[in-house]
Amino acid sequence: MPFDVSIVLTGEFGRWMLQGFLLSIELTLITLALAFPLATVVALCRLSPNALLRGAGYAFVEGIRNVPLLVHFLFWYFGAPQLLPEGARNWLYEHDAEAVCAVVALTLYTAAFMAEDVRSGIRSIPAPQLEAARALGFGYLASMRLIVVPQAVRVTVPPLISQTLSLWKNTSIATVIGTAELMYQAQRVETASFRGAETFAATTLAYLVVSILITSIGELYQRRFPVRAT
Amino acid sequence: MTPAKRFVRRLILGLLPLALLPVAAAHADQLDSVRKKGELVCGVLGTDEPNSFVDPKTRTIIGYEVDLCQAIAKRIGVKLTIKQLAVAARIPELQQGRVDLLAAALTHTREREAVIDFSLTTFVTGQRVMVRRDSGITQIAQLAGKKVVTVRGGTQEPNMRRAVPTVEVVTFETAPQALVALQQRKAVGFVNDEVSLLDAYGKLGPAQKDFVVLEQNISTEALALGLRKNEPAFKRIVDDTLRELEKRGEAERLFMQWYGPSSRLKYEKRHFRIETDKLPT
Amino acid sequence: MIELIDNYWLYFLVGQYPAGPLGGLALTLILGVAALALALPLGLVLGLARASNLRMFRWPVGALVFIVRGTPLLMVIFWAYFFLPAVTGHETSQFTTMLAALVLFNGAYLAEIVRAGIQGIPPGQTECARALGLSYRQAMFAVILPQALRNMLPSLVGQLVTTLKETSLGYIIGLSEVSFIASQINAQVITQPAEVYSILALTYFALCFGLSRAGRALEKRLSGRTSGVVPTPAAEAA
Repeated sequence: MPFDVSIVLTGEFGRWMLQGFLLSIELTLITLALAFPLATVVALCRLSPNALLRGAGYAFVEGIRNVPLLVHFLFWYFGAPQLLPEGARNWLYEHDAEAVCAVVALTLYTAAFMAEDVRSGIRSIPAPQLEAARALGFGYLASMRLIVVPQAVRVTVPPLISQTLSLWKNTSIATVIGTAELMYQAQRVETASFRGAETFAATTLAYLVVSILITSIGELYQRRFPVRAT
Repeated sequence: MTPAKRFVRRLILGLLPLALLPVAAAHADQLDSVRKKGELVCGVLGTDEPNSFVDPKTRTIIGYEVDLCQAIAKRIGVKLTIKQLAVAARIPELQQGRVDLLAAALTHTREREAVIDFSLTTFVTGQRVMVRRDSGITQIAQLAGKKVVTVRGGTQEPNMRRAVPTVEVVTFETAPQALVALQQRKAVGFVNDEVSLLDAYGKLGPAQKDFVVLEQNISTEALALGLRKNEPAFKRIVDDTLRELEKRGEAERLFMQWYGPSSRLKYEKRHFRIETDKLPT
Repeated sequence: MIELIDNYWLYFLVGQYPAGPLGGLALTLILGVAALALALPLGLVLGLARASNLRMFRWPVGALVFIVRGTPLLMVIFWAYFFLPAVTGHETSQFTTMLAALVLFNGAYLAEIVRAGIQGIPPGQTECARALGLSYRQAMFAVILPQALRNMLPSLVGQLVTTLKETSLGYIIGLSEVSFIASQINAQVITQPAEVYSILALTYFALCFGLSRAGRALEKRLSGRTSGVVPTPAAEAA
């Protein structure tokens, strides 16, 4: 059978692939929106003067990072919902549990990694900045919010873009809990069409295109907003 | 006949086999290579009781299809090696030569005839749906707009969609994983072939009262062993083995052993014979 | 929970062995270590090419590394699964497929670690070596690489942790590594999914956290003594 990629890009197969691609993008964007605030909170916990908060932050980061994403998916889809009260559980199952659980797993996983990058970013701001702010009468949170974090943003964005790239690739693993993203649809098209090479070539290209997009955004940012020497 | 004529006749008869040599040598016959290897590699699912499944006590793979492979291996005179495959990987693994034979609940379909060959039909079954009793569903048509789960890479999803176009199907890597999803109420129905379904239902034990297997078939399936195309000698020996098992009554005995009254499935009798490799038109 | 562990601990640890192929946690460990061990020479070759002064080496390898890093590991696994046998002409088991995919994928990541390690050695070292009469190759293998490798050690431990987590994707092609076995156990037991998957998570945690700590201790010891330690990269694939 000669190589003919149009078979998997048109008609019903094409429609499946497009649906999967769009869902992958949705998962990425939603996770990003949720994970970044969470990561910031965790990072601040880890930098907090309060030992309990520091410990909680540490436990969160280490507990999540040392478990593979596949296991997170399996746990949140097959394990955790069974612990919910019946009402909540049924609501979840009526409302696209596969995508919801995928987002939960991805958010926690991505946040754990991002928290480390945010923390490094904040720590890269010399201590005198924070000390001066406190000396001027700002509280801890206000000093962070007005003085330290704005400066930390430049340093933090490149690693965060890198995490976004990882996130985009990680959405492919959601296929194991039946989330109909790009990889799931690719498997479906491959089975129905018997055209492995074409399907996987198209899928690889789709992932690469967005990867290149993300990397380019990162490079553009670094060029426009280089890290200032302090 | 003069001595000269006799000589010429003998010469021609003697040289005739040499004419066949190029044909035989050009294509490495699968049967020969199996014999040379000394083993027959059989691809099975290993998660599909009672066709092929892991015996919890011995942790080996046993079952109806495994026994068929065993008979074929014995007939060829080599040892049997079992390889576990995912549903979606069955045909690719056969095509790429990683297994010699597929004994993996493979449905004989016309589309598949384009890429592989099939042995005599070894089992006739259908695909059915198991639902939760409290869903109130008694007919396949009532699944419209509802969610069912099944295993990825087989004929279950397309058959389900053909039967009920508006159904939502979610697939998982293995059938047991899909069944877990049903039991957790993530879907109202679980689609699989009749035998696997009845076996899963049997395994539910006390939970059986919560589930029911709907009577209607969403498809009729002829299951057969999968073979690579253009291997006439190999196909012949596989079909001959199956035909002989049927003639000796051994095939029926195997069916009763794995599917009969003493098994979890409790079929009363076998309603097919192993006799043809053609699909009904 | 105790009964669960009691019934299935052996299956969880070694799969069907010896009644079948090795599986479970043992398989995860062997696969992870083997993959990293084989990825290292590949990473070395690719890293040397990336650090090379010759564009002929830098660019094609750069493109290969870029493509591999922009693609999900799962995609690389599927490529290996469906097309490796056609390319090599041999049958390939799920283990070999997974190994090949992991070696290629991690080799590409290691290339960057190797490149950073090599470029982290002060240029004075190379200059001295050349001044003493050593050729480029001799300088590289006798002077630069040994130092670079020692500096890379903490990063390598980090990469081992990543590789061990990546072995879990063998689940998707039916390899009997520990995540697949855990799912099999869950499908049999049914009533304790949270417990089964928690035990699975804890197992990975114990393994990976332990290794990470060892890596960090190693990093501390090394940075006390020499310069040019390659920091453990924070960005990760699953």
